[in-house]
Amino acid sequence: MQRDVGSYPLAPTVKVKLIGAGFLTAQDIAGMKPLELSREAGISKEEALETLQIVRHESLGAKTCFSEAAYVIRKCTALELLEQEQAQGAIITFCSVLDDMLGGGVPLTKITEVCGAPGVGKTQLCIQLAVDVQIPVCFGGIAGEVVYIDTEGSFMIDRVVDIAEACVQHCKLISESHQQDEYKEGIANFSLDSILSRIYYFRCHDYVELLAQVHLLPDFVFQHQEVRLIIIDSIAFPFRHDFDDLSLRTRLLNGLAQQLISLANDHKLAVILTNQMTTRIGQNQSMLVPALGESWGHAATIRLILHWQCQQRFATLYKSPSQKESTVPFHISALGFRDVPASGPHLSSPEFQTNPCKRPRVEEDEQ
Amino acid sequence: MVILREGLCPGLTAEMVCALKTNNIQTVVDLVSSDLEEVVRKSFVSYKMLVAVRRILLAEYSAFPSNGANLYEELKSSTAILSTGNRNLDTLLDSGLYTGEVTEFAGAAGSGKTQVCLSIAVNVSHSLKQHVLYIDSTGGLMASRLFQLVQVKTQEEEEQVEVMQRIEVVQAFDIYKMLDALQDLRCSVSQQVVSPASAVRVLIVDSVCAVIYPLLGGKHMEGMSLMMQLGRELKIMARELNLAVVLTNHMTRNINSGLRPALGRSWSFMPSTRILLEKKEGIQRNSTIGHTATLSKSSRQPTGLSVGLAIGSSGALQESPSFVKESLSQAGAEV
Repeated sequence: MQRDVGSYPLAPTVKVKLIGAGFLTAQDIAGMKPLELSREAGISKEEALETLQIVRHESLGAKTCFSEAAYVIRKCTALELLEQEQAQGAIITFCSVLDDMLGGGVPLTKITEVCGAPGVGKTQLCIQLAVDVQIPVCFGGIAGEVVYIDTEGSFMIDRVVDIAEACVQHCKLISESHQQDEYKEGIANFSLDSILSRIYYFRCHDYVELLAQVHLLPDFVFQHQEVRLIIIDSIAFPFRHDFDDLSLRTRLLNGLAQQLISLANDHKLAVILTNQMTTRIGQNQSMLVPALGESWGHAATIRLILHWQCQQRFATLYKSPSQKESTVPFHISALGFRDVPASGPHLSSPEFQTNPCKRPRVEEDEQ
Repeated sequence: MVILREGLCPGLTAEMVCALKTNNIQTVVDLVSSDLEEVVRKSFVSYKMLVAVRRILLAEYSAFPSNGANLYEELKSSTAILSTGNRNLDTLLDSGLYTGEVTEFAGAAGSGKTQVCLSIAVNVSHSLKQHVLYIDSTGGLMASRLFQLVQVKTQEEEEQVEVMQRIEVVQAFDIYKMLDALQDLRCSVSQQVVSPASAVRVLIVDSVCAVIYPLLGGKHMEGMSLMMQLGRELKIMARELNLAVVLTNHMTRNINSGLRPALGRSWSFMPSTRILLEKKEGIQRNSTIGHTATLSKSSRQPTGLSVGLAIGSSGALQESPSFVKESLSQAGAEV
């Protein structure tokens, strides 16, 4: 018990008083009674009691749902971790090359950041994943619910309906081709209504609302144990204006990232963040890089960059702890995220427009 | 600043403590720095006793002198140099990770910090048969990747299982959890819960920045003190438990000075060796990705030394001396 008093999660004022009174290590305090400590250090009785509880690692009562688990150090060997990882599955995207690149889909217990220029398909990917996470287990899904935090107002419910219908149709075809009972049961509970009712949508207008929402998420997820995916679309938008103090922004963003990764680990769920792009002006050349600065780049475990190249959408895995960096093409159809059609007419004829909704891409990015 | 208590040392009686307290002398520091004659005049304590007590306290709380010969003997008997498994990295570190020291890898996102940590963990566990504690604060540790690295090392299933079991993982996503985990490691060694053979020899913290960043910035001094607390704890543990400590640190971009390791100047004194990792853009041949490691702080090797690392399917363990020269000459050409 030679641990410093300063290293405990105590209020700064209490800490200062304790150290001022000569209590330096946990050993000095642990044997004392609350009244004694309160008298010696000049702190209130409640503070003294709380300090003793923290130092002795007693639970603080039912303050939150997780307080009992707060002091348990989860230690496991890499072997146990491997077993957990292999058991937990991933969320597929319906684009097989993208799934392969990510190692079977978007992994649970990790933060995946999707960066890209406007209109490249970040929100489409989010909506696709929000639907795909709900695919029943018998079809190879993980049958989870989803929390969708929208900061930009870009969540289109009619688009969700399109993608969900396509997904239900897909599963129906599978169940018809396999005459097994488990498929029939699976499809019976998998419909458009069930998909839409399992998406929990939050609209956050500024960063304060976003921070507040993320603080409330642990309780929400505790009540909804089926949640397997949290989407924040986008993390960049509320943080790219209204900030004079950039160090405060870094602090808040990194705090947010730590909260999310902790949540992802506690509840075995995946976190998807989308990020915008910005131009970094260099001395010789300027380039398009993900927004929110250099330090934010460390926050996500996996970083996926979506970009255009010759009128074709590409996804590049920029960083991943387990997969090799690579680039694959993808396609967004009316049904959602898909592989590029095998014939690939747009590759042979550059004039062909893959997506009539979008204005034609001229080579403006190269400048 | 140890508080004065009855029985702290022979001769320090309850009455004396009481008398001293009325003179506002509460801690050892107060007593040592006080004017004893003044104290005696104000309270009725024997001067002789006070001097004796002060002598004992001074002896008890001062550092022990040690000479170079003893230190050298200690070095030879207890310091181990653990190979990282990569010859290039070992040259940079003067043949490997030294126990009792803190080594830091700093690099931008996607520069291979976690890969270096994983391959060090696997090599220490496989080749050296030592135990590793891996504190993961970013969720960057994927056991499947670890297993991939182990499979490259050995094909036998039993051995693979053993290697994986020697790597212990703690997930700590805030600084207090991390300090708890460190305390836990310290306790387990001091109480000899584990046999010396299975004691942890390498402590990997990936990354320190992730837990400290949420506390720094704005106008909060609290974060600074916790950062120093963590740094001190790591240094002391490295020395006392004879551990090789490996940290990872982020890079930040400053308008004036460009890219540099995060956490500022005060943290830069914490690691005894600091290596900067960089990814070479545009080199993607033979399925290996070019990374360079540059020594920016070391007490053994000249700083500025730079080697190439190849991180492919087998982690940072691949040897490719020819590649190094190539990349260096290319770097020269680009500049």
